[in-house]
Amino acid sequence: MMGFREEVALTLRGARMQRRVIGALIIRELHSRFGRHYFGYIWLFFEPLLLGSAIGFVHLLQDHSARFGPFEFYAVGYILYFIFRGVVNRASAAIPSNMNLLYHRTVTLPDLFFARHLIEAVSCIGVMLVLMFALFVVNGEIVEDPTKIILALVGMTLLSQGLALVAAAATEAMEGLERGVHALTYLILPACGMFFLVEWLPDWLQELALWVPTVHLFELMRDGQFGSRFMAHYDLGYVAAWILLTHLLGLAALRITRRRLGLE
Amino acid sequence: MTISMKLSPLITLSEPGASRSGEALEPSPPPRPWLWRTLRKPFFLLVILPSLIAAFYFYGIAAPQYVSEARFVVQSKGNDGGGPAAALRAAAGMGLGGLGGAMSSGEANSIRNFLSSLDAVVQANEKLDLIELWRRPEADFLARLWFTEPERIARFFKHMVNVTLDPMTGVTTLQVRSFRPEDSRELAETLLISAEALVNRLSERARGDTLRLAQQEVEVAERRVQESRAALIRFREQEKELDSAGAVQAALVLRGQLEGALAQARAELTERQQFMRPDNPALQATRNRIEALERQISAERSRHTDTTANVGGAVLARQLASYERLMLEREFADRQLASATASLEMARVEAQRQQLYLSRIVEPNLAVYPLYPRSFTNTASIFLGLAIAYGIGWLLITGMREHAA
Repeated sequence: MMGFREEVALTLRGARMQRRVIGALIIRELHSRFGRHYFGYIWLFFEPLLLGSAIGFVHLLQDHSARFGPFEFYAVGYILYFIFRGVVNRASAAIPSNMNLLYHRTVTLPDLFFARHLIEAVSCIGVMLVLMFALFVVNGEIVEDPTKIILALVGMTLLSQGLALVAAAATEAMEGLERGVHALTYLILPACGMFFLVEWLPDWLQELALWVPTVHLFELMRDGQFGSRFMAHYDLGYVAAWILLTHLLGLAALRITRRRLGLE
Repeated sequence: MTISMKLSPLITLSEPGASRSGEALEPSPPPRPWLWRTLRKPFFLLVILPSLIAAFYFYGIAAPQYVSEARFVVQSKGNDGGGPAAALRAAAGMGLGGLGGAMSSGEANSIRNFLSSLDAVVQANEKLDLIELWRRPEADFLARLWFTEPERIARFFKHMVNVTLDPMTGVTTLQVRSFRPEDSRELAETLLISAEALVNRLSERARGDTLRLAQQEVEVAERRVQESRAALIRFREQEKELDSAGAVQAALVLRGQLEGALAQARAELTERQQFMRPDNPALQATRNRIEALERQISAERSRHTDTTANVGGAVLARQLASYERLMLEREFADRQLASATASLEMARVEAQRQQLYLSRIVEPNLAVYPLYPRSFTNTASIFLGLAIAYGIGWLLITGMREHAA
């Protein structure tokens, strides 16, 4: 039997080591995704910014919500969706593309995901800050509650991470499932809350929409953006339950997957 | 790569771990009793023990809380005929939000907002002593009201009073919890009464607004009609003429006759000149008549149309112009009054329709069995939540330790 003190010491040592592994994985991921030129890092910021701006401009042409500019509604909303799409879509590729790293016993499966998701979250928060600043310069409007926006981004990262862990374990167990995951991330687009406020929906649809966890996060973010101009509907407890359950399932499934891969 | 350089000392780190596992394999000399080992497991300490404490609190200590429930709809009178029928239909859940129309969901929403506001708390506190009510001696330590500031009472109030609006049927459900059945019912009744007062105030306001505007319109129109009539009378008195249009008609007829007579006289003169000597006295008489007629015609013309002459108000043209203006004004005023009266009538109907009622479907009941606290649900959800959190924590920490091993 180990004493309590030793257990804590072992855990702390493990935590330090895991931090270094994740740090190294982040650098590796950045290199492999963007190359070693600095332009690659800039691209990391520009990808969501460009896509978000494009969608914002498309909707600028067919304006229908007079209370908010379509740009601040759709472009900012797209960044939140971008986290979801980026994290969940890349989930099924994470294990196969890093298979050779798993020969190192210090690299565990969740590390691969944590590293990727940290990149996604940090880049999207950065893009969000840039966009908020740009909107402030152009419109002169300051966001009402930045903490809610950051909380929504973090929540979306965690929720996507939970789903990604589950999706990765599932695709590892079943070949060809990754196509289904890809299709799902696009199929959920109309329902995820990016294109509407719950308030705009008819009553019966509101109840249905609030079953989708991402809808709550979109509402939270828009509450932070312009909460005084509409009535936000969200329940963070519900989102937290989703995050916890998907993490539990995903982390447990990844332990089984690690054993199945047979790499020690 | 630098990464592998950093990672390489790791492998040496695993050696003390191996020696530790060797130690663990040794049979531990004093075999602890089974119970003691179980009790020291982290799962027991972090999940089961808190759940047991929660269960002990909920089943052993927690004071029973009695629920009083009331249901009502906010409806407007005009739609769908009778109120009670609509209320019954709503209660039966057949009214669709958009189609039924009898339920005004906007007002129901504002009632719901009011019932969870500080204002409602303050109003209820004036009638009942809320602090006293939630600090009854039978209330347990955790569930009782701790604070006396209004804002914190309001927060506690939100916890104990639940207002839900079913958007499909428009039925609002009010649930009040307290430590005595009578208290719950009394508070529910008080809240319903203040909600009713609010509905009446809203309804009064809406009615007043529409009716007042229409009434003002009618008053303006009436004043205009009176003014136009008065102006007409003044004109008649001043000009000593009842009907200028008639006078003009008469003048035209007179002139026509004069012109006719003149033409006849001229024809007569021409005819007589054929066979009479120029100095015949009969010719002279005809000439005199023609002259008199011409003078008469020109006098008439100047009397009626020559505005520059201005002889004793005898200018018929000017008179006619102002007379026609006055008649037009009277006609317009009449028309305005008619339309204002019609819109007042419509506003009255509308106001009748805008009249709001708070119809009680279910009166606040006197609870017999305490529904709260939900001992089993609460204990089970605490256990489940802790178990999930423990599972994730275990997975994360085990993952961390794998790096060190």
